[in-house]
Amino acid sequence: MAAVLHVEGLKKSYGSLEALKGIDFEVQEGEIFALIGPNGAGKTTTLRVVSTLLTPSGGKVAFQGHDLKKEPEKFREGISYLPEEAGAYRNLKGRAYLRFMAKFYARSAAEFEEFMKRAEGLADLGSRLDEKVGTYSKGMVRKLLLARALMTRPALAILDEPTSGLDVINSLEVREIIKKFAKEGLSVLLSSHNMLEIEFLSDRVALIDKGRILDSGTSQELKDKYQAVNLEVVFRSALR
Amino acid sequence: MKRFTNLLVKEIRELITYQLVISLAFTMGLFYFMGELAKKEAKRAEAEQKISVLDLDHSDLSKGLLDGLRLAKFQIEAVAQNDETAAIEAAKKSDTSLLLVVPQGFGESVSGLEPKKIDSYTFLRSFSLSGLRKSEIFKAIVAATNNYLSNENLKKKVPGIDPEVLKNPIKSRDFVIVNDRMAQGSASAIAGFVYSQSIFVPIILMMIIIYSSQMVISAIAMEKQNKTLETLLTVPIKRTSIVITKMLAAGLVGLLSAAIYMIGFKSYMGGMMGDIKASADLTNVIQKLGLVLSSNGYLLLGISLFFAILCALAMATILGVLAEDFRSAQSLIMPVIFLVLIPYFLSFFSDIRTLSLPVKLLVLAIPFSHPFLASQNIILENYSAVLYGILYMAFFFLVLVVMAARIFSTDRVLTMKLRWRKKKVVL
Repeated sequence: MAAVLHVEGLKKSYGSLEALKGIDFEVQEGEIFALIGPNGAGKTTTLRVVSTLLTPSGGKVAFQGHDLKKEPEKFREGISYLPEEAGAYRNLKGRAYLRFMAKFYARSAAEFEEFMKRAEGLADLGSRLDEKVGTYSKGMVRKLLLARALMTRPALAILDEPTSGLDVINSLEVREIIKKFAKEGLSVLLSSHNMLEIEFLSDRVALIDKGRILDSGTSQELKDKYQAVNLEVVFRSALR
Repeated sequence: MKRFTNLLVKEIRELITYQLVISLAFTMGLFYFMGELAKKEAKRAEAEQKISVLDLDHSDLSKGLLDGLRLAKFQIEAVAQNDETAAIEAAKKSDTSLLLVVPQGFGESVSGLEPKKIDSYTFLRSFSLSGLRKSEIFKAIVAATNNYLSNENLKKKVPGIDPEVLKNPIKSRDFVIVNDRMAQGSASAIAGFVYSQSIFVPIILMMIIIYSSQMVISAIAMEKQNKTLETLLTVPIKRTSIVITKMLAAGLVGLLSAAIYMIGFKSYMGGMMGDIKASADLTNVIQKLGLVLSSNGYLLLGISLFFAILCALAMATILGVLAEDFRSAQSLIMPVIFLVLIPYFLSFFSDIRTLSLPVKLLVLAIPFSHPFLASQNIILENYSAVLYGILYMAFFFLVLVVMAARIFSTDRVLTMKLRWRKKKVVL
């Protein structure tokens, strides 16, 4: 498998605060790669750098061979980012929001229709898609945003806490959508606090704390290495 | 271009909300209603009006005076009582607002050059125009009658000499010079007319600049408040396009809102002031002096205003980045509003050109001062000052737009915040 995303020695500082102290990882084609760690570990900063929102202070980030610093627009063409606390335009109807986003990526009318059809299926909001986003529940907004993120079949979907704020049923649905998406050959970089979610979803995991990656591998490899029954125990052992 | 249009349409749709449409329609309706009321009141003031008169003299002079009032569209209602106090009491109970009491022996006393006073009682039942206008007209008629009587007296006492020459031995002729053109006329009448015709210019300027800058700062603040900015910044469109579409949409909607607001305001002011028309003489003088805005003048004023709007939009865009939400955006826009209000009030109450040099430089450093000065400069054909103003604003805008584009192209768009508590960084 070829690496879709290559991150090497990534550093990010906010003034004197070093949020990332040199991070290395790769995301392969069709792979779900997860970052797990406590609050303030540097997960969101990493995702924000890869999604071109933040400029790195050092190191190298390459997407499909394109360098982040030199060609950020190539990143934006091929990635899709779902922030943890994202929202949609409250005055737009759900369908109008999806149309607005699809127009940035579609190269033809046929492709636009394909994106919309996929998005409507992923959002699964029925007639509520013709109502304003301001009337949606938190779960509905999250599903709309996930549909927006995946409708263009990006080469790399960057999902920050994708099931944040969702109930059990909606969380299960979202996990299944992500899993199905990766099976179709597309890559996912995600972060989560939920170790069970990570174990269910991800092909490989990186344990991150205080701006450094402590260890990485498949869930099984890590569990074997730390002789742990689950990733929570793995993480606690790795911290020691 | 397709992506740019897509974003621009979204920005305009976001700005034109039901609330905006309702508020604009309400403002228009309110101004129209107020204007119609004012027009009605002004018409009522001009229509034939009733006044009460107690004529205790019945001389030719008192009759002549009352005829003068009739000519001035007053309907004279003779009071039945023969006593001043009773007449006042009766007038209090009626709907009259002016009572005149011509004393007995009035005509005779005037002839004997020992005039008795006419008492006028104004019943202030409201502060409307019509109520106050009656006593003013009466005073004007008394003044005209006085002039006539004094002339007649002078003719009798000093025959063969024009009484006007005796009363006003010194006469003047007034000339007004604008650049190399000269015309005979009163400077205050000309200035008053030009002022009344251009009173809307600074108001329009202020409204458009404030509306547009509020629109753009709110648009950016709402992106932050609704957590849509991060997503927008990761879509494949240039960051400069994001900045420009926001400014363009805010400019267009601001312009539209200001235009609608001004139509309503003009209708209101039209009702308040009536259709002020200059006399034929004054029109001739104004045209002779070239004190009218030509179509090129309007174009130049438009360009000046356009650059002022651009400066306001760029300033508001940068301030919008500092805002955390809609509420903080409303506070952050205050500096821009103050910068607009300074030249706005100066244009009403002072002449910027006569200020001391440091203050003048300070005022000229504010980009919004230039369109306020432009209308007068264009009328006075001081085109170089207008062009320098436009060039200054263009430079100012370029600096700001480069700053805004740089901010949007870096982390600062997400990390720049103006808040009192300690900065929080999400890792």
